[in-house]
Amino acid sequence: MLKVRIIPILTFNGFALVKTKQFANPRMVGNPVQAARVYNSRAVDELAFVDIFATKQSRKNNLKIVQDVIKECFMPVAIGGGITSIEDITDLLKIGADKVIIKTASLVNSSFIKKASEFFGAQCITIAVDVFRQDDQFKVLNTAGRDVTMQNFILEIQEAGAGEIILNSVDKDGTMNGFDIALIQEAEKITKVPMICVGGGGNLDHYVELFQQTNCEAVGSASIFHFTQFTPLDIKNSLKHINKPVRL
Amino acid sequence: MKTAIIDYGMGNVASVQKALNFLKIENIITCNHREIEEADAIILPGVGAFKQGMDNLNLYNLMPVLNEQVLIKQKPFMGFCLGMQLLATTGTEVINCNGLGWIAGTVKKIEEPQKRIPHLGWNDITVTKKDFLTAVDQKDFYFIHSYHFDVDDKEHIAATVNYGKNYVAAIQYKNIFATQFHPEKSQDAGLTLLSGIYKYYA
Repeated sequence: MLKVRIIPILTFNGFALVKTKQFANPRMVGNPVQAARVYNSRAVDELAFVDIFATKQSRKNNLKIVQDVIKECFMPVAIGGGITSIEDITDLLKIGADKVIIKTASLVNSSFIKKASEFFGAQCITIAVDVFRQDDQFKVLNTAGRDVTMQNFILEIQEAGAGEIILNSVDKDGTMNGFDIALIQEAEKITKVPMICVGGGGNLDHYVELFQQTNCEAVGSASIFHFTQFTPLDIKNSLKHINKPVRL
Repeated sequence: MKTAIIDYGMGNVASVQKALNFLKIENIITCNHREIEEADAIILPGVGAFKQGMDNLNLYNLMPVLNEQVLIKQKPFMGFCLGMQLLATTGTEVINCNGLGWIAGTVKKIEEPQKRIPHLGWNDITVTKKDFLTAVDQKDFYFIHSYHFDVDDKEHIAATVNYGKNYVAAIQYKNIFATQFHPEKSQDAGLTLLSGIYKYYA
């Protein structure tokens, strides 16, 4: 049986790991290579590493640092930040990335997703969808200047060939006060590819609630691992109690 | 046992090398025909689409040297993920095209209306051919694929994985061993499998 996945997310500013709250106030939380080493020893299911300032600062991911992070990992790694071309993806796969995470470029032009998916296979193209609530709607936060609902955007990128979606709640980011269950349920209605739910995990009950109230198969988290004593294993153990398949 | 990791522009050569280095197995990442001929074993890794994979093998003119080293000289061969699928007679990803044709069968899209596609994550395998896989029966391995290898001769299947129904997880036939999952990304289970294979051939 396919196991649910617990995925630590490392967000990077070009120099150090940072953790934001509602996408603001990045706070330094350590060194990416050391963090990757610890997570590898803890046998996490996957690791995500995203340079969250690369697009904003018009630069590419630092391949040397990414390579050092990947070197620590005998589990799958997804890398994101500043990806705009087939060459960018090739560079990351060549140094051992298993998946790439694309956000802005998928908003600018979904034909890039189609091209990337046909070239590398859909399974290595993960699209990050950052969602915020506006009035009664779920909207996609972006710097590409597009006003698009989450639902329309998910349909668009699935059509283009996305292999996986990272659904990130902007409102819940870094708050550690529970997942946006309504958002995840809404997204699940139309999502046909694997989805990683992100934003709001702060204690073990939040994860139990997430997996009981949704069909979630993968969860990504950062704050709970940076700021509490809980480890990915603690989360897996509490999911095992509610009969979710986990890899221990 | 010097292993040539075939570099044909289809992804994760670095991950495979990292696993072999960890196991202290001499290896070289290459698409050079002479270096492939000089190797004792061959690994065909791969991430990506079937058509692109075959196009790239042809671009580097790798088909003749692989056919000679694996089918005629019978060197130990391992294929992972796309590197397993390319052994098929035919692929159907993006467009129909011929594969290496070493293992008769067709690579088809996974059709599971109730399931998310790709089949992505850790799943346990059921071993049907014990040789290399005895130590890892029922262990979790990392899968990431939207297409599966429908093998004609079920005797070639070495392990299966369940995702709605049973799909081929590993193939073993003579000197050819290949997995749909990524042993190089499957932490202890993957390293155990690889080290077992190298011990067998040592």
